[in-house]
Amino acid sequence: MARGLSRDQIGVTDSMVETFGEIIFHLSHNIQKRRGDPIRERDFEAVEAQRAELGLTDAEIAARIGLTETQVLYIRNREERRRFRTGHYHRLNELGGGRRFRADRFTPHMDHFKFSDDALELRAAMTFEPERVRHYVEAGFWRDDTLSGWLDRHADAAPDSPAIRTADTTIAFGALAEQVARLAGGLSRAGVRRGDVVGVQLPNIPEYLIAYLAIVRLGGVMTTVYMPYRAAEMETLLGHSRARAFICMTDAGGFAAAEAALSLKSALPALEAVIALGQPVPGAQSLADLMASEPAQPADMPVASDPFLLLYTSGTTDRPKAVPLSYHNMLGNARFGLAEHRIGADDLLLSAAPFGHLFGLYSVHLALAAGACSLLLPMFSPPALAGLIETARPTVLFTAPAHIAACLAGGLFDAHDIASLRLTIMSGSAVPADLARAFAARLGDGRVSQLWGMTETQAGLYTRPDDPIEIAAASAGRPSPGTEVRIAEEDELQVRGPLLFPGYFKNPEANRSAFSEDGWFRTGDTASIDEQGNVTITGRLKDIINRGGVKYNPRDIEELLDRHPKILQSAIVPVPDPVLGEKACCFAVATEGATPTLEELCAYLAEHDIAKHKLPERLELVADMPMTATRKIIKARLKPAGP
Amino acid sequence: MRNKPDIDPEQAKQTILDYCRRKGALAAGVADLDALERIAPAGHRPSDIMPRVKSVIALGVGGQTQGAWTVPAKALGYFGSTETRAYTISYGLAFFIESKFGVRSIYCPPDMDNEAGPRVPLQSLKLHAELAGIGARSLAGDILLHPEFGYMYFASVFTELELPPDEPMADNPCPAPSCVDMYRKVGQTPCMKFCPVQCLSGTIDADGKQAEMNYDMAACAEMTQQYETVPAAIANALNADTPEAREDALFDPDNKMLWYKMSVGSGGLLAQCFECMRVCPIATKAPLADPILRHRAAQAEEA
Repeated sequence: MARGLSRDQIGVTDSMVETFGEIIFHLSHNIQKRRGDPIRERDFEAVEAQRAELGLTDAEIAARIGLTETQVLYIRNREERRRFRTGHYHRLNELGGGRRFRADRFTPHMDHFKFSDDALELRAAMTFEPERVRHYVEAGFWRDDTLSGWLDRHADAAPDSPAIRTADTTIAFGALAEQVARLAGGLSRAGVRRGDVVGVQLPNIPEYLIAYLAIVRLGGVMTTVYMPYRAAEMETLLGHSRARAFICMTDAGGFAAAEAALSLKSALPALEAVIALGQPVPGAQSLADLMASEPAQPADMPVASDPFLLLYTSGTTDRPKAVPLSYHNMLGNARFGLAEHRIGADDLLLSAAPFGHLFGLYSVHLALAAGACSLLLPMFSPPALAGLIETARPTVLFTAPAHIAACLAGGLFDAHDIASLRLTIMSGSAVPADLARAFAARLGDGRVSQLWGMTETQAGLYTRPDDPIEIAAASAGRPSPGTEVRIAEEDELQVRGPLLFPGYFKNPEANRSAFSEDGWFRTGDTASIDEQGNVTITGRLKDIINRGGVKYNPRDIEELLDRHPKILQSAIVPVPDPVLGEKACCFAVATEGATPTLEELCAYLAEHDIAKHKLPERLELVADMPMTATRKIIKARLKPAGP
Repeated sequence: MRNKPDIDPEQAKQTILDYCRRKGALAAGVADLDALERIAPAGHRPSDIMPRVKSVIALGVGGQTQGAWTVPAKALGYFGSTETRAYTISYGLAFFIESKFGVRSIYCPPDMDNEAGPRVPLQSLKLHAELAGIGARSLAGDILLHPEFGYMYFASVFTELELPPDEPMADNPCPAPSCVDMYRKVGQTPCMKFCPVQCLSGTIDADGKQAEMNYDMAACAEMTQQYETVPAAIANALNADTPEAREDALFDPDNKMLWYKMSVGSGGLLAQCFECMRVCPIATKAPLADPILRHRAAQAEEA
């Protein structure tokens, strides 16, 4: 329309717009050129000579090129609109604060960073119940904590304080921040952008933590791959997470991890970069090279609501359960954990658990919350753990019961000085009471704490350092600050709170059964709560055996069997029975040279007042138990050999 | 129609200029009507809207504190009531002339030409002021500058009272010596260098005078005339692929600011940028560019 008239009425066609748009635009006031200062000087000849360059009116243009004035008006207007870049005025917002506009400081909106579809899908998964979020924020559980923020704070306030120690090296916070910034620059060069997932499969070495902090500094998301995992698990995890990059060893104890990852690239279209630590691998980038990059200065630092971890509860199924976690979930839990565990900046924290497991990362989160130093044990072995405790003298130990059991069995805590341990936090699997007591007895003044957590929650329950050993040995303690627990049907422990993950990523089926109707997370653990609020984990719901309608949890029987002189380790699982529905089958690893029989084990259990219907009805002796990377028995893999 | 015999043109002019200054104009003058009629394009000449016009009076107001030039441009961008003040003075002046001298006068409408669109003024207030000698064209897109008052907003009155015209400025204050130095070194003056959309370019001759001024008004307008983006925002919403994208297109915070500005009816607020003036030494540092400096000068004069 021009002057209220339609194109048909003014006789303009697309071809006219196309034909005359350019000349009309340039003759109009849109492009102005003035030579000299003719108007001020009243040089009328010069004014006339320049009139077209100074800009003609529509009427003048019309007269000059032979269109009607209305046609010129219409075409000029169209041309002005066509030449505008929509949203250009956003640049105005870049002017301010006394700053002068600089082109190099400004990124046009259309050129601005855009999250990838994969990243947006993950971010969309970070959905929480609004009323709960309001409570978490108002109560201070959710704040602006980020790992980058914590690291920068310590690097500024205490640049020379130790942040990472190994048996033979120390990295201070200032140097750590520098190395993290450099690797962030390298990862950026390798194509990692905000919101991208980066897989990490490394032992507990400084490069692990540097990689972790560099990934999250870029706003990336780390997914951990356990060291024992091989190509099949890699493909599942990196494929499901749509990882953009994968950081691993060239040689992981005889396994060519980088080569294996490279061989998967055709099956993993999102995987752009394999980054290897160790000898160069053709096709892979060198982690050492990337760590020598120019430091990254991300335009947008991560914020607390960003997802930064994507952890898998299982790497072997075709429907992996991926747990996305935000800083809100994890870091408030760690920040409040400091006071509860009585951990401060002077502590030296050692994790026997791998960083591939959230329990290991919890120790890192606590250390960064406090500004404390993390002592690294690259790979667990009983002598390595006991030796490092003696030489490096950590004050806080994070360990699985299996680690302690192995050291105790080898007499290593008698042979090594472990008196530096002020607090030992055990988690990862059920803590046998006898084991806790036996270890506490060797600690002297040190305290034992039991912690219950899941990948979905980090630290949900724990005993406090002042709790007597009777409580720490028998229970997982009380909820962490902000965490709420309840015992639901079938004694199932259910949890909610600021630490709770939002739901499994890309697994609606798992989510349907993971939460109660009123939003509590169904842990699958069975538990009881005593009068003081201490929670004792009694087993797993799926471990319950339903023998002809009588349900029982075999955990107490397994604990008894583990103390039998002919048994090293036991696990009782249900097997189908045509009459009863299910009956109990005991899988056992015998002590060296021993051959226990079902009859003698049942007699032993009966002597310990185990009811007859709970006695195992079948015995399978195995050489080894299938174990998770965190030393839990994988009962699902225990299948009887025959009918 | 001639002036009434008892009106002395020189005295009347002085009375009018006194009125303007008393009401807050920093500068005022009378443009040469013949020159105006020759230079302004057909349809935009003073006689096109007032056939019996004899004189065109231009006045300028302005002035911000030094601090105003350094606060965020978003807040500074528009000088609030400054432009309105110019119009108010000229509106009053038209009545003043009619009541004082008994001749018809009009306050020159500052609005756009309703038929030609929002970027085409009905009358060029800039041309009036330039010929009245209260401003000279700068390299910053022909924005008028004054050697003493820097950057001003202008308004005009047309009257059938015949007044002796003023001369345009003898010298153009633009480019300032510091701008010439910069141009010699980097090939750009501050206004050219710091324009966010690089809509300015030009050359300075060997004598330090303007040789050529180039102004891409289309680029400037896209940056500064936010009303131009209103239909664009609506078009984006109409073309959005999803309801969410449509909502974003309409309720994007920047767009909401546009709706706000429109709802309060502050047309001028829709035009912002001012970077060329923020870096202009004449606009910001002319001897009487801000109210404090002017006050001090007035005190010194009185003393």
